[in-house]
Amino acid sequence: MMHVSNLYKRYVTNESEVLALQDINLAIQDGEFVSLLGPSGCGKSTLLKIMAGLLNSSQGSIEIDDKKITAPGPERAVVFQDYALFPWLTVEANVEFGLEARGVPLAKRREVSAELLKVVGLQDFAKKYPHHLSGGMKQRVSIARALAVDPEILLMDEPFGALDAQTRSTMQEELLRIWKVYRKTVVFVTHSIEESIYLSDRIVIMTARPGRIKAVISVDEERPRDMTSPAMTEMQRQVRAILGEEIDRAAALEQADLVAAE
Amino acid sequence: MADILTTDAREVAATPRPSWNWRPKRDTLLGASTIIGLLVIWELVFQLELMPRWAFPSPIQVAYAFYELTMNGELFTNGSASVVRQFTGVILAAAFGIPFGLWLGASPTARAALLPLCRLVYPIPGIAWIPLAILWFGVGFNSTVFVIFFSGIWPIIFNTMAGVQTLSGQYTDVARVYLAPRTLYTRRILIPGSLPFIITGLRLTYGVGWRVIVGAEMISSIVGLGFLIDNARWQLRPDIMVCGMITIAMIGWVSENWFFDWVERRTLEKWGMKANSI
Repeated sequence: MMHVSNLYKRYVTNESEVLALQDINLAIQDGEFVSLLGPSGCGKSTLLKIMAGLLNSSQGSIEIDDKKITAPGPERAVVFQDYALFPWLTVEANVEFGLEARGVPLAKRREVSAELLKVVGLQDFAKKYPHHLSGGMKQRVSIARALAVDPEILLMDEPFGALDAQTRSTMQEELLRIWKVYRKTVVFVTHSIEESIYLSDRIVIMTARPGRIKAVISVDEERPRDMTSPAMTEMQRQVRAILGEEIDRAAALEQADLVAAE
Repeated sequence: MADILTTDAREVAATPRPSWNWRPKRDTLLGASTIIGLLVIWELVFQLELMPRWAFPSPIQVAYAFYELTMNGELFTNGSASVVRQFTGVILAAAFGIPFGLWLGASPTARAALLPLCRLVYPIPGIAWIPLAILWFGVGFNSTVFVIFFSGIWPIIFNTMAGVQTLSGQYTDVARVYLAPRTLYTRRILIPGSLPFIITGLRLTYGVGWRVIVGAEMISSIVGLGFLIDNARWQLRPDIMVCGMITIAMIGWVSENWFFDWVERRTLEKWGMKANSI
């Protein structure tokens, strides 16, 4: 169980202070799939980075199982948007990185990576280097690397944002399959309304800067979800209505920034 | 998913194979004909006596000097002496410069403390160290190696540092997320991640070393290619001088290109990182 309470994040530059996150309160259940949805620049990735322990909050706290977190920990793993694989390591060595960091012996590491590469359908690519793989395959490796350390919480930062539509929907299927097998808690950052509805148990909609939680929507529909069903279409319309306002505001803010920069 | 896999199988298959049937290309022919053209002009200058003959050898005399020096072993003795010094100097420069550069790249405090000093010492030409090196180490091996080391250390330090600084912050994030200890971070991320820059630095270090070695040997040695060239002055043998110069060019060319190209093929090209190298 992850508890985010009264969380603020301020960025201080030489002259001005920007409030990126304002009063975030959120409880995420074990095994839950939660999406953070919002316009670009709303701080959803910042929130994820704070959850990962890669950034500090300015105020407030995050607790996992009643323990306050301030740094990365073994119970969390991150899947980055642009994969962040090491090009100089083979696919299997990339998957094993977290285990190597934990001092797991090579034989055991090989066993785990072989199993996980099978899970993500890349068993034939174990000895290849990442630059031989397509974007979708790289992201599978990145997911396998995260699963290898057997975390409780999987933090995913727009993991499918760089993929083409078709690969993206394949990867969504894969992720749901993996999530069902391994029963991890997933926090999934996205700016795609459809993606968030298709995948999550709950959608946290964030406002344009400063990022606040505007609405939390539960999606109770059985998986696999038919996005063209009346209920799903209605939900998409509803989320779009809530988010649309914020997207406009984000665009206006961006324009104001550009004018100010001149 | 099947669709994705087939696309990728094709991508993998399409990675470039080494080409076996090598044929001279237009550029190679052009390059070679320029060199042949120069040889012809050189011979003409000699034949027409545009330069005094005692100071200007013909290509044929140089070729003969090659033969002579090869047969009496002088070319090998002096050449290998230079190569051993060069290797010693470059290996020392790398052994010291790479860790130092990694440290400078990773620590802003180290940079603030040490960069001003480095920038100040860096412009001193390697040759300027020779007299001091002779006082410290005497004439011969040690002083020559010291000069190579001191001239060559800068490119490897500065390039390694730049490599660490330009390393994507995301790799560091990955290391933090997976709780990688410092040693693993250095071995698995910092060094391979900066390798494009480290190799460029080593290339420069090697080049600088090979270029100062001759100067150092002229002043501070009784063996080596620099000594061979300088000593030929007393014998009025310009053919030997040119012979020594060509030997330096050839050893330098072969080792600078072939060796480092080989290293790059084994690492950066294999990892698909070649585009990042400068």
